[in-house]
Amino acid sequence: MTAQPTLAPIDAPRPAPKPAPRSAPKGRRRGDGDGLSVEWVKLELMRVAYATRGGFLAHRDPRAVLGWYVVCGVAPWLTYSTTVLALLFVLALGAALAARIGPLLLGLFALGLAGQAVYVLALVWFLGGDPTAIEGIVTIQLKLGAVSLVSMAAFVSLDPEKLSDALLALRAPAVLGFGVSYGYRMVPLLIDEFHTIIDGHRLRGAPARGHGLLGWRTARRVAVMTVQAFYPLMLNAAKRTRTTVEALETRGFTYAAHDDAGRRIRLAHLRIGVGDVVLLVVSVAVVVAAFVVGAAYPGVLG
Amino acid sequence: MAPPTAAVEVRGLTFRYPGAAHDTLRGVDLRIEAGDFVAVVGGNGSGKTTLCKAFNGLVPHFWSGDLTGTVLVDGRDTADLSVAELSHHVGYVYQDFGNQLVRPTVRDDVAFAPVNFGLADWRERTDEALEALGITAIADRFTWQLSGGQQHLTALAGALALRPSVLVVDEPVAEVDPARAAEIYERLAWLNRTLGTTVVVIEHHAELVARYARSVVLMADGAPAWHLPVAEALARTDDLAAADIPAPQVTAVARAFAPTGPVPLTVPQTVRWLEEREVGPRVAGRPGGEAPEVEVGAGARPGGEVASVPDEPRVVAHLEGVGHGYRAVSGPRTEVLTGIDLTLREGERVALVGSNGAGKSTLLTLLAGLAVPRAGVVRVDGTDTRDVSAAELADTVCYLCQRPEEMFLQDSVRADVAMHPAGRRVAGTTELVEEVLERMQLGDVAHRDGRLLSGGQQRRATLAVGLAMRPRLLLLDEPTSSLDLRSRDDVIAMLTALAEHIRCTVVATHDMHLVAEWADRVIVLDGGRVLADATPAELFARPDLLERARLVPPQVTQLGLALGLDPVPLCVPDLLRRLTPRTPTTAGAPA
Repeated sequence: MTAQPTLAPIDAPRPAPKPAPRSAPKGRRRGDGDGLSVEWVKLELMRVAYATRGGFLAHRDPRAVLGWYVVCGVAPWLTYSTTVLALLFVLALGAALAARIGPLLLGLFALGLAGQAVYVLALVWFLGGDPTAIEGIVTIQLKLGAVSLVSMAAFVSLDPEKLSDALLALRAPAVLGFGVSYGYRMVPLLIDEFHTIIDGHRLRGAPARGHGLLGWRTARRVAVMTVQAFYPLMLNAAKRTRTTVEALETRGFTYAAHDDAGRRIRLAHLRIGVGDVVLLVVSVAVVVAAFVVGAAYPGVLG
Repeated sequence: MAPPTAAVEVRGLTFRYPGAAHDTLRGVDLRIEAGDFVAVVGGNGSGKTTLCKAFNGLVPHFWSGDLTGTVLVDGRDTADLSVAELSHHVGYVYQDFGNQLVRPTVRDDVAFAPVNFGLADWRERTDEALEALGITAIADRFTWQLSGGQQHLTALAGALALRPSVLVVDEPVAEVDPARAAEIYERLAWLNRTLGTTVVVIEHHAELVARYARSVVLMADGAPAWHLPVAEALARTDDLAAADIPAPQVTAVARAFAPTGPVPLTVPQTVRWLEEREVGPRVAGRPGGEAPEVEVGAGARPGGEVASVPDEPRVVAHLEGVGHGYRAVSGPRTEVLTGIDLTLREGERVALVGSNGAGKSTLLTLLAGLAVPRAGVVRVDGTDTRDVSAAELADTVCYLCQRPEEMFLQDSVRADVAMHPAGRRVAGTTELVEEVLERMQLGDVAHRDGRLLSGGQQRRATLAVGLAMRPRLLLLDEPTSSLDLRSRDDVIAMLTALAEHIRCTVVATHDMHLVAEWADRVIVLDGGRVLADATPAELFARPDLLERARLVPPQVTQLGLALGLDPVPLCVPDLLRRLTPRTPTTAGAPA
């Protein structure tokens, strides 16, 4: 090899790593990832997606869970009474906790709710508005809050197999059921790959030049990285899918689409038990009770 | 002798992919007997995979190109059968088998095909397939939690659940450690023996072909050059070399003494073969000679402490009492590394070996500063990795991850190589990039997207990315996995050529050829601890250590050990130099 003008002189002056400003023990040190870290978010998402925590809905028949979800998810839309909504919200919160939705979802939910409350109050105060407008806001907040809590409780309790079986049992198209379970399978892979790509950007991209005012530089950097990560992520996913599509063909997926025997086998294990019936009856009763109480005391919060 | 019907019979098969300019298969005539164990070998682009996809009807039912000729499977014409029907005859396991798994859990995935076909005995078939591959214990795990080897067995079980008479496996051992590769092949051999399944493997590793296959098909330019019993096939070393399939090392040794005639296929056979021809160690051998003492345990290497002796090379990285672990979705944290003390010095070429899950990749991520250790201290170039961000550390350390496509963040190789220097506004970035591209022989493909290159080109491109970062410490995770042997030798040569630019290189690998030919220091990890820290020759002379760390040394060192050579030879020329015919009449002579 001939002499390499730019490569060879490795000892040529080059920016040394800059340990100086931060090497003092008092400087900001990197944590070991026990707190709120990407790793934790990743695991938490997996725990949620795969229903690993158990909870009162985890052992029910998936169709019963979907039924429960419909009952509890529709009820809040049928009323404008703040009493009923408050009751439903409390019940939904109880259900979500009992379904063990986990700290990540709960935290995000609380953050969203609180953020919205703050901005609505600020808006009302700023515009010198009528405080009675708050009542309308509270109604819609309670409604949305109850529905989101119920949704979280239901989907945290359904692992991919149960969800796709339930969809299949309810005569949803086979592709939808498969899409759900395949999506779940891809999630961990995509999360890992996204992590690697972001790491690549961190290591090889232009270094951060400070956080900027209110961290705008950091925010911009993260946003740019996320957008740039999209392209490699999609391309890699597309490459993977090529094999998957062929494999589906060889494993009889298209065959099953026009043959009912597979569906029957797949759903044979589903049984509506006593617990499932009790769950549905109790949910309906509780919702009805909430409406009755709301009719009796319409003005508790109003 | 031959059973009445062939498992697969191909007559005059020619196939062209839609839109392609050339035929991928040109007039293939091939007969695979029922119960055979066939290895299909051949260079990249010789049509191996396309041929195998013709067995299960993906060609032409899924890939509808121009096809002439016929393919008979179990005596039935594939043109008359759908892919779904053919899957009961031919099971197919892909090279990227992970993408073949479509259901969340192992059991569910294995049951997928029988359930789709509505087979009443799907449960028995599933259990049977799980049992046959010895994965009943992991049946309820999620597929994304499995190691590569377990995923492969799951994919195999999924194909087996349909009880096919032919099983096609495309490069089964590309990404697993050598011991696991042998395990997968043992399973295939067992299926072949006990169930009578015809096994067809596409394989680069001549050593595995020699050990397990019964016949070999050499594909060249879209047609089989020949189909021969394994011993005859491997004796045709010139044909194999022309197709980028270097002969097994033992065969190469034998060929050096006898340019024609039969060759041995395994190490014990070679020992006998050499004895028969009265070839032995040049210097009176020292059979049973004592293996040099390998210092076992952490930090036992002389100078394990920070440089105090003046003539010791500078320390590049230093680890002290390092421990690390991960939390899984459920259960307690698993410790991956415990109490690691290591010092890496300038000029060292370090190979990090150990079975899957021994902590190799974790150690690399700690050195790269992508993670900080839970216990102990990692210092790189004198800097505690806790004190600087990973991005700052990237000026000193470069980490090339295992899957090269994850290293491509831009839409051309050139942009990827330029990313780091340009981002840091290094003066003369353009010249640097051009030079690196030229040096890595990437000039022709620099404008292309890295993901669309061949495996060997991708590795070269990632090495170029690393070189343009001008690191003091270069970390590579499995740089030679899933490469054919020619590309692998390329990568090893590139690594050797890099030595003048990079102070210290650490490679995590399963590839013992890479260890033997490139490394000057081997660190063996086992269960998160340093089991040994030695030179390759010292390590390969210690069967006990090798077995504990599930390492399989290259054939040439096994042979050297069996012949009582001390120190063990690391490459074929080294062994040949030390062997000599005891009688001068033997034909041929070593170099």
